[in-house]
Amino acid sequence: MTDIKPIPGIWFILCSMGPRSLVGRKLEDTVMESLTRIAAPSASQDDGPASESRRGFLQLAAATGAVVSMGTRAFANGDIAFYAKDLSDEKLVDMYRTILKIRWHERTQADQMLTNPDYRGYNHFYAGQEAVATGVCATLRNDGPFEQIDLAYSSHRPSGHAIAKGVDIPKMCAENDFRATGLNNGYAAEMHLSDPSVGFVGADGMIGPSMPIATGSAFAFRARGSDQVAVVFGGDGTYATPQFHSSLNNARMLDLPFIYVLENNLYHQYAHYSYSCPHKDIARAAAAYGIPARVVDGQDVFQVYNAAKEAVDRARAGGGPSFIEAKTYRYYNHWGAPGATAGELGAFGYDPLAITSFRPEREVRAWMQRDPVDIARKTLIDWGTLDAAAADAIETEIKAEIAEAFAWAAQQPLCTPEDGLKHVFADGAVPARQFG
Amino acid sequence: MAQKSWMYSVLEAVQWEMQNDPRMIWIFELTPPVASNPGMPVINLETEFGRKRVVNTGIDEYWMASCCLGASLAGSPAATYIPYQGALMPFEVIQNVAGKLRYMTGGRASMPVVWIIEMTGQTPGFAGQHSCYEEDSYYAHIPGVRTVIPSTPYDAKGMMHAALRSSDPVVYLYPAGLRTLVEEVPDEPYEVPLDKAALRMEGSDLTIVGSGAGMPEVLKAAEALTAEGMGVEVVDLRVLKEMDTQTLVDSVGKTKRLLTVDQSYYTLGPGAEVIARVATEVEGAKYKRVAFPDAPPPASPEMFTWMRPDAEKIAGAARALV
Repeated sequence: MTDIKPIPGIWFILCSMGPRSLVGRKLEDTVMESLTRIAAPSASQDDGPASESRRGFLQLAAATGAVVSMGTRAFANGDIAFYAKDLSDEKLVDMYRTILKIRWHERTQADQMLTNPDYRGYNHFYAGQEAVATGVCATLRNDGPFEQIDLAYSSHRPSGHAIAKGVDIPKMCAENDFRATGLNNGYAAEMHLSDPSVGFVGADGMIGPSMPIATGSAFAFRARGSDQVAVVFGGDGTYATPQFHSSLNNARMLDLPFIYVLENNLYHQYAHYSYSCPHKDIARAAAAYGIPARVVDGQDVFQVYNAAKEAVDRARAGGGPSFIEAKTYRYYNHWGAPGATAGELGAFGYDPLAITSFRPEREVRAWMQRDPVDIARKTLIDWGTLDAAAADAIETEIKAEIAEAFAWAAQQPLCTPEDGLKHVFADGAVPARQFG
Repeated sequence: MAQKSWMYSVLEAVQWEMQNDPRMIWIFELTPPVASNPGMPVINLETEFGRKRVVNTGIDEYWMASCCLGASLAGSPAATYIPYQGALMPFEVIQNVAGKLRYMTGGRASMPVVWIIEMTGQTPGFAGQHSCYEEDSYYAHIPGVRTVIPSTPYDAKGMMHAALRSSDPVVYLYPAGLRTLVEEVPDEPYEVPLDKAALRMEGSDLTIVGSGAGMPEVLKAAEALTAEGMGVEVVDLRVLKEMDTQTLVDSVGKTKRLLTVDQSYYTLGPGAEVIARVATEVEGAKYKRVAFPDAPPPASPEMFTWMRPDAEKIAGAARALV
């Protein structure tokens, strides 16, 4: 990775890789073309990052009642605004630190899984997608009284969202390893991590329920006159669910302070998203519900920040919901560490569970050329916020902090079996029934 | 005849039915209808029958279940494989439409539809939504839907043939914990009835009734108890609706001791229904129930394995009863 600029044409290639061609795609291309003529005359496949002018943005909004992505690449919307460039050095470095925390959490845990036979935790790894959680959560209120902080609903791939929202990392590590002193006392593990005190409502192992539930939190904010916002993170697999559509329709009808962050990492479990969605840009579907929608380069934390800031400002001002599709990629397989090697980033080769479609190694490597850690680092050096030595020092420090978190977690006590009967209701315990 | 796995046996039945009825369809998400078995040809419904009949869909179990219902109403036998992550998402259409439709239409609706509902492997560590085992109670409560839960590859194949040929809607529960079971299964099609329990062991001191994923541990406990000199009779329910009351009553009428074993929650689990049916028919019997407590499964393996019924706990309850 020598240049923060995207590889020309990468989006065109990757998005054309779907294993089947759909009749609907032809129609979509026609529609896209006409929309592109209206709003993004400068976007093409060959001239690198293209910008939509503010004027084009307004024209499109007038034409459709919504903002949709143009062009074939995630970065076609490159310069949404300049919010990130106005941030303090401290805030920018903090975002870089968050990306590194997520990255080294993922790498350290993968290495634990691969090398430590006593380690029992698992993860749906988030490595490769760090910029999305970081950029979005950097625009949210993550501490303070519960009645004022913004709420984030996560998915079955929660560790990045949890860290970005400010969850205590050592406690999260302990929870992922089923420890009694973990974040959720050993009841949750990875797929149900939750810490309301930082507005991390939590992970959900199911695909679908979190979106309409998040609109419910947004409804409450609106009903009580609060300027809080509710954010839900979901993958490309959520498009096919009924809840995708009902949450967007209701959020729009009621003008809820609701932000849907769709992390399109191209695969739902082991199937390419073209198996379940006729759109190349899923944001098109949100636009159809009358919701302002953005497609952003999910590998560039500052682009994500800009889009999220726009959405949060709109929601706080009573302007209703927004939809952000972040084009991104996970470096590991759907679940666990098959195909990974200790000490090396990413998983390669055939995943034994991936029967329907699996990820070509060249695809993984192409995405790793546009690494969110590298992009953030190079941007901050380019902006003069950091120099290389300072960036290195931060990474060394974060790496040590994460190693310490795992070491602390490994020392924590295991759960007491009988405690499994507690927390069913607010008080007391249910009877044991397994002994007859 | 060959040693076959659970899934290979099931797909063998589906393949035969699809070959012999070109109207039949299959819908899946995430879990491809592919199975292999040593010395046998690979079964791949998607490549054999093509994507007009066999479709990999997005994550929308309500649609999968509804689509199969609609196909069956149009005269196409239909089956879908719903992975455990979505095992209760289609509940409403099965409960409120399919279960009532024959009745509401005065007997006119015909629904040759099978919903294969995968239940988790109850893997320790996967926590609340991925270790649970509760669908048996929910689906068994619905009138008008045959709910079956085969526990062996032989029954799995025979009940799949019977389910696909039935004009009643069938919820076909598949406990994923049984995926490693292997036994002799005939190559030819055959039917196992959708209304009969199976007597797995005969004895005169105690009846143990279990189903689905609980059966391997029930049989393990029964073998240990037999070795201790106890005469244990084991009934595998196989069918939750319509439950085979006669087999249960006959057995407990003889042993006068009934221990039920559920992997699902205690309240309203299959064991509760078994005891209620037996108690109204058999005089002077004694009862015990082993079940998962009325709590969601915790992530911690220490808590989870303590809460889950296993052979040791089942044998302990049996000794206390006899």
